[in-house]
Amino acid sequence: MNIHINTPEGTRDRLFSECLERRQVQSALVKLFRLRGYTEVITPEVEFYDLFVQSGNPIPQESMLKIIDRSGKIMVMRPDCTAPIARVAATKLKNLVLPQRLYYDQTVFRSGQAHQGGSSEIAQCGVEMIGAVGEKADLEMVAMAVDALRTCGLRQFHIELGHAGFYRALAGRMKMPQDELERLRTAIEGKNFALLNDLLEPYRGEAAYAALRRLPYLFGGVEVLDEAETLAGQCDSLGYLRRLYGELSAAGYGDCVRFDLGLVHQLDYYTGMVFRGYAEGAGAPVLSGGRYDGLMEQFGRKAEATGFAVDVDAVGACLTVETPKLETVIHYGPGLLSQALAVVDSRPAGSCELSPCRTLDSTVNLAREKGAARVLLLDSEGERWMTV
Amino acid sequence: MSERLRIALTKGRLQDKSVELFEDMGLDCAPVRSPGRRLIHALPNYPLDVVLAKAPDVITYVEHGVCDLGVVGKDTILEKGGAFYEVLDLGFGRCRFALAVKKGSDFYGTYKTRRIASKYPNVTRAFFEGKGMDVDIIKIEGSVELAPILDLADGIVDIVETGATLKENGLEPIEDVAQVSARLIVNTASMKLYKNEITDFLSRVERELEGRA
Repeated sequence: MNIHINTPEGTRDRLFSECLERRQVQSALVKLFRLRGYTEVITPEVEFYDLFVQSGNPIPQESMLKIIDRSGKIMVMRPDCTAPIARVAATKLKNLVLPQRLYYDQTVFRSGQAHQGGSSEIAQCGVEMIGAVGEKADLEMVAMAVDALRTCGLRQFHIELGHAGFYRALAGRMKMPQDELERLRTAIEGKNFALLNDLLEPYRGEAAYAALRRLPYLFGGVEVLDEAETLAGQCDSLGYLRRLYGELSAAGYGDCVRFDLGLVHQLDYYTGMVFRGYAEGAGAPVLSGGRYDGLMEQFGRKAEATGFAVDVDAVGACLTVETPKLETVIHYGPGLLSQALAVVDSRPAGSCELSPCRTLDSTVNLAREKGAARVLLLDSEGERWMTV
Repeated sequence: MSERLRIALTKGRLQDKSVELFEDMGLDCAPVRSPGRRLIHALPNYPLDVVLAKAPDVITYVEHGVCDLGVVGKDTILEKGGAFYEVLDLGFGRCRFALAVKKGSDFYGTYKTRRIASKYPNVTRAFFEGKGMDVDIIKIEGSVELAPILDLADGIVDIVETGATLKENGLEPIEDVAQVSARLIVNTASMKLYKNEITDFLSRVERELEGRA
């Protein structure tokens, strides 16, 4: 028989420090989520393909890992946690009082392109707040996003806020055909200044021209909102972001909050505030979220929703986690197991272990090979320390 | 504290043009001009480190964030795609993607499924999808002009600069697919994390480009 010794492309064995990083991030996040009143939901790893088409959050078909079940139905490995949770909240939880605060700690699967170095298995920890709308709900969410990255141990990071309504308002003032507007949105999302200028050139006289042209540059501190207001005039979404920022600053979150009014991705999905988290050391956003008030309705229950997900391994990779070093090996005599275990349990995890060897010589050899500094001998005469 | 930025340049002609541009901006590019065995070239009078790479690798380095910036042709961007900000058209390295066929042949005048040879299968697919046409695409690594001559393909989609090579081989461009020029791309996280450094560099480049225009 042929034994496969490699893992499929996009998957990997995680060993030692990579596990510690992941677990440290997960446990920090879960602790925070529970403190804030969120309860856990675990959804199936495999779901119907249709669920994710229905959700309105466009996950490209080719990036879903598909399985055909016995009846011939198409199933996918869960590519996203929000749609399944919206399904649960709209059906099984429909009699519970809103708002519902739910969290998840599970893996999503997305097949990337071959040989790009990406992972198909992405550990995500995230939250959903269902059935709450308005400033206080959004404030709570952004504050928690900041606290989430902080509690993981990140030092250099920030959360960037945008608002789907701002672009919509600007686009609404343009007399532009729909397909051209979509190209415009893509140019803004990709900060493609050259294409944006070309697309806007014929519309030079229009009301929103100046603001749209500057939109990709409108990221940074709160001064961005001032510039946007100068360009676009009063706008509900700008006022809203300003109020959020005022409250966040008063609560001590101001330093970690910035803005990008050019966050215009997935506009059919996001209905209000959108945000992303960036951390020093990560080449892509480590946190992403927003408000999607139309999602629940897709599953038959009208309710507002907001939430975010943390890319656990991307955060973990920014941390330095100490792997424990073996210091002591214990050689114990007959009847002394409980004393030996008591010593092991009193030490930092991983720094001390029992020797399975029968003779002391073998234990000393083992300690030497494993790089431990000392052997603790426990026998009828008491305990003795030996340097290896 | 000012961070040093790292930029990946596409080796060859785009590299030469980029170095010219940087020197016109007042950057001392001596380390790039005489690279020796070094792979990372630190510019002495501006906080920028330069690495040289093949075009698709420039995108890979920038996407993964190991380089903050990159100079790469629009042809590679169209073919390879990826998640990054495409901030500036640098104006050099101009050419175009064109559909070329054997001189005198009537490419559209048949119901037979056409076969297209190209080094750029994704660009080719997108072009014909936009027309609502199904075509067979054959990926060719070397001289694509050979495919129609040997009757392997009905046409080619390739980079055309002067059209001289096509003409010599009895081919003619019949349709433009896309315009190509060198682009400055930026990693999405770097743009946010090193906003001041990157906007300083971008505005210097823009000023120089405006001066040239």
